[in-house]
Amino acid sequence: MVALAWASDLARACPSCASPLEENRQAFVDTTIFLTVVPLMMMGGFIWWLRRKIREIDEAPEIAVPETLLRDAKRFLKGR
Amino acid sequence: MPDDALGRPYGVPARREPVLPNGVLGMLIFVATEIMFFSGLISAFVIGKSNAIGGWPPPGQPRLPVEETALNTAALLASGVALYFANRAFKKDAPSTKRLLLISIALGGFFVAFQGAEWVALIGEGLTLTSGQLGGFFYLIVGTHALHVVVGFIILLYTYRKLSHDDLDRFTFWPAQIFWYFVVGVWPILYWQVYL
Repeated sequence: MVALAWASDLARACPSCASPLEENRQAFVDTTIFLTVVPLMMMGGFIWWLRRKIREIDEAPEIAVPETLLRDAKRFLKGR
Repeated sequence: MPDDALGRPYGVPARREPVLPNGVLGMLIFVATEIMFFSGLISAFVIGKSNAIGGWPPPGQPRLPVEETALNTAALLASGVALYFANRAFKKDAPSTKRLLLISIALGGFFVAFQGAEWVALIGEGLTLTSGQLGGFFYLIVGTHALHVVVGFIILLYTYRKLSHDDLDRFTFWPAQIFWYFVVGVWPILYWQVYL
């Protein structure tokens, strides 16, 4: 898909692709990459954050217990 | 009865809350679409700018007030910072939250008023929506952002009203903050692209 962005001038897919101005053609490629990457980054970032948050919740104890008790329990489990 | 680190009383089964409140999730989805909308506008502007013959800004067009808008940019960023500290003080120190929220609203209002004055001056200099590519892009991009600032300003006024009535909860305050952070965060990018 990304490789096709460089072949767009062959297809005359947009007015910028056939532009004689190098800066204009470059701007077309740059904005194509930008508009492709932004939504992927947003979705990827959200999924990463959501996974982290769910893991955090899963690891939290079901009922509230004193920290000292949790430490003792961990020590006990380690010793087994 | 003592509480654990999360503030829950010992021995009471923890109630599972949703990972994200509905209002926050809804606002995040909305802001994501807004980011794509502004990305589209910026992309069109970048391509239009690169296509301009005779350089950018086009000859014969008024220059945009770069320095004055830098000051306005600082005001909008300060508004975002004030809102951040208002959130930190939320539930702990109500008078501080109220004062910081008011500062944030005032700075947002200053931004809109300043931009309005800037527009009046630019129209007076001959920069209109139909005067050329610069005018067309300028009023479209900056105008769209200004519209968002006005909406954010109204939302912040609403949250302030709720706070004054001691009726503001985090499920209302957080989405309002997300929207305002978006409005504040997108502006430096627009300033960099359109003005500089």
